Amino acid sequence: MNELAIEVTGLAKQFGAKEVLRGVDLQIPRGRVIGLLGLNGSGKSTLIKCLMGLLKPTSGSVTVLGRDAWHLDDQQKIQIGYVPQEISLYPWMTVRQTVDYVSAFYRTWDTKWSDELLRRWDLPLHDRFGPLSVGQKQKLSLVLALGHRPALLILDEPVASLDPVARRWFLESILEMAADEQHTVLFSTHITSDLERVASHVALMKDGKVVFHDELDVLKDQVKRLRLESAADLPASFAVRGSLCTEVEGRHAIVTVPVVSAELIDELKHRWTADVAVEDLNLEEIFLELHKH
Amino acid sequence: MQTPKPSLTFSVHPSSGVPIYRQLMDQVQALVAGGKLAAGDTLPSVRQMAADLGVNMMTVSKAYAKLEAVGVLDRSRGKGMVVTEPKTAGSVADRQDQLRPLADQAVVRGLQLGLTSPQILDVFKASLGDHKS
Repeated sequence: MNELAIEVTGLAKQFGAKEVLRGVDLQIPRGRVIGLLGLNGSGKSTLIKCLMGLLKPTSGSVTVLGRDAWHLDDQQKIQIGYVPQEISLYPWMTVRQTVDYVSAFYRTWDTKWSDELLRRWDLPLHDRFGPLSVGQKQKLSLVLALGHRPALLILDEPVASLDPVARRWFLESILEMAADEQHTVLFSTHITSDLERVASHVALMKDGKVVFHDELDVLKDQVKRLRLESAADLPASFAVRGSLCTEVEGRHAIVTVPVVSAELIDELKHRWTADVAVEDLNLEEIFLELHKH
Repeated sequence: MQTPKPSLTFSVHPSSGVPIYRQLMDQVQALVAGGKLAAGDTLPSVRQMAADLGVNMMTVSKAYAKLEAVGVLDRSRGKGMVVTEPKTAGSVADRQDQLRPLADQAVVRGLQLGLTSPQILDVFKASLGDHKS
């Protein structure tokens, strides 16, 4: 068995003249929970659709569970769970009927587990799909994606419409699934606090590329905001190499650096005769710093 | 004391800028320093702690592994992670080597807070005063 659940190399995708993905590289070993972050239009959904074999890459390669994503067969598909951003199911089917219908496609469907999820999420079994609220539709879609205990779960903004209680249940279900370190979960989201709770790794997308992919802890340990207070006014040319963003006003400067180190702090102290204070940043703050200009 | 310490003793803030594994490490070290965790006490299993705190298991095992590396915890067969005896064996240099990573961490944090070397030393001195036996 291939140790990588997902392997993307040099992936580009164009729609007409519009380049959405411009050379995505991403390797995800089995057993990880990885959060995919990026602004609207950064290419998250397009990447996910390429992973699912729903879109054909313009160039580059996409391998999922050891097989080319465009040519996934039953063997792989049965191991994948997917929640799309827009959920379309038969409006006239009840919740129960929908689950029965979808489960029939899977040899490995775990009815006890799907019943448990339906109960946890308080879904009205005898209501038709059509009139369900957006949040309820999303919950049902999650049950359908989780019910066969997929080895790889891919979710495109799974929690956008969920209330806080349902979100917490969802996160706990993800953690339960990932607990054996065999199941891989990739989810895109804008809710960074959810990602911080369950994800071991984070991939940041910007302008059609993955600009950062590592442990979330590494990101938090490395990206820091430095506050400098110099003895004299700082020159307009004040800059720190590699910084993500810099603000200077008189004797004060605020610089966000991608990798903090004791040497860097010492260097700044000596060069500018400054006191340097280091601030921790959470994921949302780091995300905002990355998109400041 | 064979019963595992309930995970209730611990709390993490996922949206803090401090990684969760470091929050856990800091809390275990604080509990040990404050005498609330004694040598021989058992910590909750990785699975238990992760489930109770609602965080990824990798995060908890990382905190435990790092605490083991600095000698605060010991992996004990069948019991899980156990708080170590305060070490008095080995040469002074050896024991100082064991202390060094923690001191480094404290010094870096002090520098991050904008403290000067004498100010950091004062903190160490005050802390020693509190723990004189």
